[in-house]
Amino acid sequence: MQVNPAVQSYVIEARDLLAQLETMLLDLEQAAPPEAVDSVFRALHTLKGGGGMFGFPALSAFVHHFEDAFDLVRMGKISVTRPLLDAALAGRDHVIALLDAGGDPERTDALANSPEAASILSQLARAANLAPPPVAPAERGWMVHFRPAANALMHGMRPDLLLEELASLGQCEVKCLAQGLAPLATLDPTQSHLGWDVTLHTTQGRAAIEAVFIFAEDAELTITEIAPPEVETKAEGPAQVRSTAPSRAQHNPETVRVPSLKLDAILDQLGELVIAQARLNQIASRFGDSTLDGLVEEFQRLIGGLRDTTLAIRMLPIETVFGKFRRVVRDLSVELGKEVILETEGGETEIDKNVLDRLSEPLVHMIRNSVDHGIESTAERVAAGKPAQGLVRLAACQDAGEILITIEDDGKGLDHERIRQKAIERGILAPEATPTESQLAELIFAPGFSTAEKVSSVSGRGVGMDAVMTTISALRGSVEVMSRKGEGTLISLRLPLTLAIIDGLLVQLGGDIFVMPLIAVDECVEFDLTELKRDSGRTMLAIRDEMVPFVDLAHVFGVPVDGVARRRVVIVRAEGQRMGLVVDDILGQHQTVIKPMSPFHADLADFAGATILGDGTVALILDTTSLLRRLLDSPSQALAA
Amino acid sequence: MEALPPMDETETGPEMSLILRLNGESLAIPVRHVHEVINAIPRTRVPNASAMAPWLINVRGAVVPLVDVRRRLKMPPRDHDDGRIVVLDIPRGAESHRLALLADGVEEVMEIDPLRIEPLPPRGAPWPIEFVRGSIRRDGDLVLILEPESLFEPETGSRPLH
Repeated sequence: MQVNPAVQSYVIEARDLLAQLETMLLDLEQAAPPEAVDSVFRALHTLKGGGGMFGFPALSAFVHHFEDAFDLVRMGKISVTRPLLDAALAGRDHVIALLDAGGDPERTDALANSPEAASILSQLARAANLAPPPVAPAERGWMVHFRPAANALMHGMRPDLLLEELASLGQCEVKCLAQGLAPLATLDPTQSHLGWDVTLHTTQGRAAIEAVFIFAEDAELTITEIAPPEVETKAEGPAQVRSTAPSRAQHNPETVRVPSLKLDAILDQLGELVIAQARLNQIASRFGDSTLDGLVEEFQRLIGGLRDTTLAIRMLPIETVFGKFRRVVRDLSVELGKEVILETEGGETEIDKNVLDRLSEPLVHMIRNSVDHGIESTAERVAAGKPAQGLVRLAACQDAGEILITIEDDGKGLDHERIRQKAIERGILAPEATPTESQLAELIFAPGFSTAEKVSSVSGRGVGMDAVMTTISALRGSVEVMSRKGEGTLISLRLPLTLAIIDGLLVQLGGDIFVMPLIAVDECVEFDLTELKRDSGRTMLAIRDEMVPFVDLAHVFGVPVDGVARRRVVIVRAEGQRMGLVVDDILGQHQTVIKPMSPFHADLADFAGATILGDGTVALILDTTSLLRRLLDSPSQALAA
Repeated sequence: MEALPPMDETETGPEMSLILRLNGESLAIPVRHVHEVINAIPRTRVPNASAMAPWLINVRGAVVPLVDVRRRLKMPPRDHDDGRIVVLDIPRGAESHRLALLADGVEEVMEIDPLRIEPLPPRGAPWPIEFVRGSIRRDGDLVLILEPESLFEPETGSRPLH
């Protein structure tokens, strides 16, 4: 079947809108400003209009009911209530199903006439009927500063009309700003010289004020709210999420939609280009021709820029999946009868699309776990002297070439004793073992482990957390759990920024060449060979005034090194620890295209992958984080030659 | 009731196979698995890897594990840089993975009739039966018929435990 591109683009747009709609509805639940209702209405309106035009009449008819309901809200006839939002969220899910039916008449009819659809609509009707008319929206005070551009009058701007329109919004106090006015003799009457400060008290929101000035593009315009009314204090935490959203919408530059397959193809080609570039470098260095060298250098610079831009295209802010999590928490807290709110932070942190796609499932799982196992019932919380409402905090930030994501709850924490018993029961832990608390905490990621007393519909089958671990490891990330009994649990995920290309440092070890991720390298220093032969067995280096442990990478990898007169140490950093890796020589930087390890070598945690060097040979890329973790755990073993 | 002719799902018709040499024996691999045969090229040792796949090589821009099946076939190890490399695509689950097999040499491509395959003799044949399906006779000598899917099943590395 031929798919009409216009229909296709409606479907894509509709999906976007529906994703936004979910966030907007959740925002409304937390006492959002009046303009949030307008956005919901607009989204519904666009969905309805497009649906009728592009062959989704059933969708259009269904959305129509919601548009009506939110129109009533918008006009101030009814207020936003929990049942109304419940119906709207359920309705949104139904619209996705209608969209998935792809205009197929049979499936669409079945969906449109399904009992679910009828029940959602009656839920909506009930909610709309029951919703009380809102208390008149509180009047808010605004300070509007407006100064038209000097040439605005010639373009037909009428400041008087704008001020009049502003006055129609509410009570207005206008102050004219005539400073800097030229003497009459030199005054150019065709130019605008005045500005105005308007104090406005209105029930309308910021959007209404902005709408007045919609055609005054070049004017100097600031709109600030005066003296925040006491309602503002209610929305402290989650306000962060909201406050970033409108500003982004305002400065939204023009965007283009591209299928991600095309991006993948660009990245593959870029990878080949980088490898070809490395070969060119090598050949050019043989010729020693300065004209050629100059050209090669320019190529290198251009390809470096191309690489950065290409990778940047693939980066998406992590908040694109945050909306989904808020819904998960909301639905779960209803299902489990717990009061839980989700706070998010750092939603603007960008992460490679491929990483993000694979990350969302494990994150959902961990958040579910926090709500289901972590947060206690309201009664237990109150008894323990905690606030009745449980808190799950999801935060993301960028940290030294890695993305750090934390999921924190203020629940009961891990029951270490219970984990111990369960692990022994499941044969994961030897009965005589004496693991530390953090080792016990890590057991929750072991295959087949689950401490849930009862299997709930949400979690507790014990298949989740080890699947989380598998996904995170496949993304070359790591997971860490910290928990304090009665106070809560903190899970930290560390993930690489990208999976495709990194800046690498080439090091020589015997006849082999290895690549270290440059981002992990702190510094490189000369190595005093006598350090290897200290009688005390000490393997620490004094780097300025810090002692840094070191290992000889040649021993770790079983590479024969003999007769090397001069060696070097690369100081690498991972998870806050520094370590020196002794190599034979440092060869320089290399743009490294990461090729994943085959199933034959997938178990070798020391390597993040392999790459092809300029001369066509293969070099292994060190996974410094996992290598350091292994070496710092058992430095003596690693050194035993 | 009339007896139906015997049905055997595993047996198919004659299959073209590549015959390669390894430690003096001839081994047959169906050509449908063979991607290409190349001369020996520089290889990169993988520290702490299994004896099964100790190296990586670059085959036309792809990083491919270089596999030595001598140990699996209970043959003595031999570290050398000559010989030929047979690049194979071996199915594993729903996917297929590419690997390179180290061989002393490549002899010919011949048609192998599955009906002529004989089981390995109980004595004097050290090769594990999960890796060698059987043998056929050629010019008075044996050709071993390999079981590619199990023979090239990855094994985990020999990293020291910590």
